[in-house]
This record gives sequence, C-alpha cells and structure tokens, in this order.
Amino acid sequence: MEELLRMEHITKKFGDVYANRNINLDVRKGEVHTLLGENGAGKSTLMNVLFGLYQPTEGTIYLHGKPVRIESPAQAVKLGIGMVHQHFMLVEAMTVFENIILGDRNTKGIFINHDARKKEILELSERYGLDVELDKPITDIAVGAQQRVEILKALYRGADLLVLDEPSAALTDQEVEGLFDIMHKLTSEGKSIIFISHKMREVLHISDRITILRAGETVCTLNRGDTTGEELANLMIGRELTPSHYEKIENPGEAVVALENVDYDKNSKHNGLNGVTLTVGRGEIVGIAGVDGNGQSQLAQVVTGVLTPDAGRVDLKGSHVAQFTPNGFILESVSHIPEDRNKMGLIGNMSVRDNIVLKSTDTPQFSAAHGLFLKKKAIRDYALKMQEKYDIRCSSIDQEARNLSGGNQQKIILARELEGKPDLLVAVHPTRGLDIGATRFVHDTMIEARDRGCGVLLISADFDEILEVSDRIVVMFEGQVMGVFSGKNPPIADISLAMAGK
Amino acid sequence: MISEVLLSTVRMATPLIFLALAELYSQRAGLVHIGLEGLAAIGSLVGFLVSLITGSPMLGVVAGAAAGILTNMIFAYATITLCAEQIVYGMAINIFAPALAAFIYRVYFGAGSELVQVGLMSTLSQSLGIQSDNFIVQLFLDQTPMVYLAYILVIVTVIYFNRTKSGLNYKAVGEYPKAAATLGINVIGVKYVASILCGALAGMGGAYLTTCYANTYVDGNVAGRGFIALAAVIFGRWTGGGVLLACLFFGFCDALQIRLQVGSFGIPYQFFQMIPYVATIVVLALLGMKKAGPKGVGKAYLPEER
Repeated sequence: MEELLRMEHITKKFGDVYANRNINLDVRKGEVHTLLGENGAGKSTLMNVLFGLYQPTEGTIYLHGKPVRIESPAQAVKLGIGMVHQHFMLVEAMTVFENIILGDRNTKGIFINHDARKKEILELSERYGLDVELDKPITDIAVGAQQRVEILKALYRGADLLVLDEPSAALTDQEVEGLFDIMHKLTSEGKSIIFISHKMREVLHISDRITILRAGETVCTLNRGDTTGEELANLMIGRELTPSHYEKIENPGEAVVALENVDYDKNSKHNGLNGVTLTVGRGEIVGIAGVDGNGQSQLAQVVTGVLTPDAGRVDLKGSHVAQFTPNGFILESVSHIPEDRNKMGLIGNMSVRDNIVLKSTDTPQFSAAHGLFLKKKAIRDYALKMQEKYDIRCSSIDQEARNLSGGNQQKIILARELEGKPDLLVAVHPTRGLDIGATRFVHDTMIEARDRGCGVLLISADFDEILEVSDRIVVMFEGQVMGVFSGKNPPIADISLAMAGK
Repeated sequence: MISEVLLSTVRMATPLIFLALAELYSQRAGLVHIGLEGLAAIGSLVGFLVSLITGSPMLGVVAGAAAGILTNMIFAYATITLCAEQIVYGMAINIFAPALAAFIYRVYFGAGSELVQVGLMSTLSQSLGIQSDNFIVQLFLDQTPMVYLAYILVIVTVIYFNRTKSGLNYKAVGEYPKAAATLGINVIGVKYVASILCGALAGMGGAYLTTCYANTYVDGNVAGRGFIALAAVIFGRWTGGGVLLACLFFGFCDALQIRLQVGSFGIPYQFFQMIPYVATIVVLALLGMKKAGPKGVGKAYLPEER
C-alpha cells in the first residue's frame, strides 16, 4: 500500500523532560494504524506535533513522500490532517451545524449559506454513515453523537488522515461498535486513521498495524496478525505481566474499624447505608464489591469522618467515635484515597510539592509553631524524596498537579496518604482511569501497607481488582451488606448473585 | 409628560448602547472588561477637547474613539499577550483613565478656571431646518447623528453575530478558544480586533456625553454608565437585540428619575437619582443566577498549554 505519512526521528522536549524522543511512525493509505502506549507514553504529544499544536524540537514529517513543516492546526487541516481530540473541541453553545462550518475558508462570501452548506454536510454524513442532527445544540446530543460531529468536522475540511485520540474512552459499548463501523467505512473509502488507545481488546479488533510507544520512544511496529494481546501488554509496559499472585491473608489482627448497624439516609437506595455491620482488621484488605451507587460512596465518607451516621456505632481502634470530623479521623491515622482525585484528592493549581505535604503542614517536621512558619527546605527535600520513592513523573516538583497524567496524580495521593504509616486506609476506586503499569503500582503499594499491619478498605467498581487484592470480600446492594466472602478462592457465582441483590 | 420621558429615554440610552456594545464585542471574544468607565472618561475628555479646538463635534467623536482604542491597548496587551488577569486590568483602567482625563483637563485649562463650554452636535432636524412640536417628528428627527449610528450599530451587530461566517468564528473565540484555534481561527488576532472595537465604541460612548449630551466636561461625568452597560450585557443575554432593550430600560429609568426630580414634593432628589442604580442591582439579582455568557470569558488563552 502507498505511504501517506511518515514521521521521522521526532523529538519534543518540555523543559528538560522528553515527551517524545526519536519517534518513527509511518501510516499507509487506507489503514487503521494504532498508537499503543501507557498514559504519559507520549501518544498525545506526538499527535499534537502532527497537528501543528506543538513544534517538534527535532525531526521531520513527510506527507505523500514530501517533507512538510506544520506550524499551525490551520496548516495541518490544509494538508488533509483531521484530529478528533480526546476532549472534544466543540463549542457547546452552538449547534452541530455551526460547529461543523466553524472556521470555514473554502466558500466565498461573508454570509453563511445555510442551505448549500447543509446539503454538503448531509451528503458527507450519508456517505460515511455519520448520523447527526444538524440543528441541535451540542449540549443536547449524546457523547457518541458529539464524536460523530467531530469526525464529520474533520471530513468536511477534506481530511485524508484522521487522528482519533482515545475515541472509545467516553463511549458505551454500543457506541464503540458504531464507531468501529464508521472506521471501517472510512478506510474502505481510502481514508487513513491513526487510532490511539490502551484498550487491548479494541486495538486487536480494529487495527491493521500497531506501533507501541513507551516512555516517549517507539518500541516497534507490528502487524495485527503477528501478535497477541499478551505480547502487546508486555511490550507496552516493558516487563512481564504475571497474573494475580498476591498472597491472601486469612487471620487478620484486631479490628481497626468496626461498624455496627450504621444507618445513613437509609431510605435512599443508592446514596445511603442501611444497618451496615462491618469490620476491617489489622493487616487485611476488605474489598467492597457491588455495582456503583449502592452506598459505597457513603460508606467511605462515614469511615473517614466526612459524613455523620444517623444511627449505629462506629469504633475506631477500639474506642467509640463520638464526633465525625475528617481531621479527627486523620489524627487517628486514617488515610483516604478519595473517589475523585481531581475534586477531592488534589488541589490542581498547587504544586506537586505542596500537594504532598498538604496533610502534615502542622507537624514539627514541616513547620514551626504548628503551621505558622513553613520549613521550606524540609518540605522541598521531603517532596524530592517522595518523588523518587513513588516514581512521580513531573518536570519538577513545582509543576502544578493538574498538568500531570492521572497515574502520576494518583501517586502524589499515595505518597501523601501512605507515608504517614496509617492504621486504616480507605481507598475508593484507586485505579480508575489508570493504565496497567500504574494500576499495578497502586496494588503493590496497598499490599505493602497491608503487610505492615494497616487495615485497608478497598471500594471499587472493578470486580477484577476486588478479586485480585481482597482478603475478604463484602458485597453491598442498596445500602445493605449482602454477604461476606473469603478472598481466597472466592465463590464468584455467589458473589455475583449477591451483587444483584439475591 | 410621557413623551418628554420617552424623548429623554432615547438620549439617555444612547451612551449606554455604545458602551454595552463595546462590552459585548469584548466579551464575545472572551475578554470581560470592567474598565469601560475609564475608557468612556478618556473618550469624553478627548472628544470635548478636540470638539472645542476644531469646532467640530464629529471630529471630537472620532478623536474620542481613537483615545479609547489607545487606552484599551494597555488592557489588550496585558490580558491577551501577557495573559494577565482581566478583572485586575479592567480595574486598573478604571483608576488610571479618569485620573488621566482629569489631569489633562487641569493642565490644559489651569486649576480653578470656570467651566468651558462647547457647541453641541446639531440634530438632524436642525440640519434639515425642520421645526416641529409633533412628538413623532421629534422622536425620529430631533436626534443627533450619534443616536442613529447607535441603532445602526445594533443592527449590524445582530447581523454580524448571527448571519456571517466571521461572526460565528468570533463567537467561537469567546466560547472555546482552543477549539477555534484547531480550526485555524486566529484567536489572538480576534481578541485584538475585539479590543480595538471595544476601545472605539467605549470612547465614542464617552465622547457622546461631551459632544451631544452636555456642553462641558466635568470629572466623573460618566457616572457609573460603564458599569450599567456591563449589567445591560448580562441583562441582554449577550445578544445585540437584548442589549438594546436592556439599554433602553436603563435609559428609561434614568429619564424617569430626572423627570421625578423636577416634580418632587419634599422628597430629597437623591432618592430619585438612585433609580437607575437600584434597577441595575434588582435586574442583576434576578438574572445573575443563570449565567449564560460565553464560556471562555475571563480566561487567558495560552497556545502551547499542556
């Protein structure tokens, strides 16, 4: 097949950090070429270079065999490159039609010729099976439809090469099927697609060729037929992945936290607790399984002191809790990995360094006179130590936390919550949105805390994760505990029934 | 009496329309500008001086617009190129520009001199030589060219934002600059154009006060109109037509308070003077909860942000 695009020796540096280093990629006409890599492997950076949003520090891009300099998105569009960003570039206040014609330079006149433009768009949408409602505002259509608008937008501008940046991340399974149909249609019409993903199943399903990136560099390019999911996973994270080999504990120590008949807003099926009795012992991981929104969130907030239960008794390390305040629980060495790391776990506009010490600024280690004067040097040294210990990848510890990838943000939280050697760790969806390597790191860290004698309450909607690390599995349904199961050789059928409320 | 109030409404609403359009063009490009008061003050002084020196109120208005543009370039450079906080620089313009205007006035005329007066722009009926006491004739013909210009600008604005490709691109810059940039729209360029339009319109709004409304310049003559115009943009839901109606409403409140002052029986006139400002607060309190403005307003645009 004819070559459409070749990127040679692309390097992009941000400060001293290499986001891309000597990357090579070639895309043929009519193929789906997947870029596979962990979060932060440099996929998005490479695509932003291709689209003219970033200028490469070194390297050359060839289109149809000729070297080109892409200095702006406008130029990329002119060269026939269309990009569907992971976060859609749609103006919400405008209609589908307005979004598609936005920035149009190909037609004459100063006024918008609605009829003519609509006819053109409808022709395109029929040809590629991109079904959209032109007169609806963007806010009124589903995510899948918004994605179709993005693809249509690129095609309307004459794109021959489409970049789809993690297009399936926000879609339902059905919508993903629809997307794949569209991708087939596009390639059969001679368009080329660069598909970015880290979902193995999808990659093996849709790709013609796969290029693997790791830590900003190209590992290799493979044909789909010549590889397996296992090989890809290993190449992607750069080491062998072994299935769950955590040793399960059966005799935990004394209870760190004990709940007895705890109620919270008990008439609410999805956001309440109804007579919950539960203990977490020293040195065990209790996994709360259940479909999201059956009171797990409230349970986590009760055992971290955010919510005060309506009825029932909570004992922390053997003593009755009278007052529920987050600070009271922190003083009792309870750590919390909250469900939404951006809203509850981190202060995005503050630096990595400040986020790491956020909880301990009153301690003599970091300040004089209970937080009145901060010991800048001690904080800095400590943050540098944590950056190394938890492998937090950032350009410097002064970088704002919001600019880090999800995995690295979670590592900041782990560093802050686990370094104080807590007696109880409450981890809520600790690996949501993380890639394989980062997930593994989080699991290892939790097991380590357990082996040190910490009690861990793990709440997760990912059943595999629960099975992987839990010593005991508690199933919740509509605010009630439906059953407690052993984590060693767990009875999967019984657990599934309990999760369905039976 | 009603006809009197309505005639007065048109006169009072006109500077508000200029100022509100200035704000509309600025916000539609994502720049919230609370410094209209300052731009209008400098426009009002420069308009006055040029009109006094040349004897032409028209030239005064043009000069006022130019002064508004120049002053607004400080705001534009700081907020667009240097990505500074828009509210802070808007406030800075509000403090700096009226003081500069007062300073220039004192340097030019000397301290303690009596009020210098200048001839006002003639109305259309004066130019045409028509004299009539008929209300309709007065309403439509007894107005300065600035009034007609204000309404023409409103119509142009409505067409521009709703019917033209360029207007659509302009709005996209205020809503989601990054998306606009990926479509090849020059975001920085549009923002500078917006600042030029904003400066010109605000300067003209200020110059109206000294070339068409009062025949002299006094410090503080803008009297909060910059802020009322800001409210009018919110009240008018960021559309040309809405802004016009909002300005007429606030203009009416102003006209009403002047009329009531005349006929007041023992009530301190300050209470009537409060009417436009109280109306502004009430309107904003009623509408303020539903924020519907451009989404990118107030945020700096950095091209290579990760």
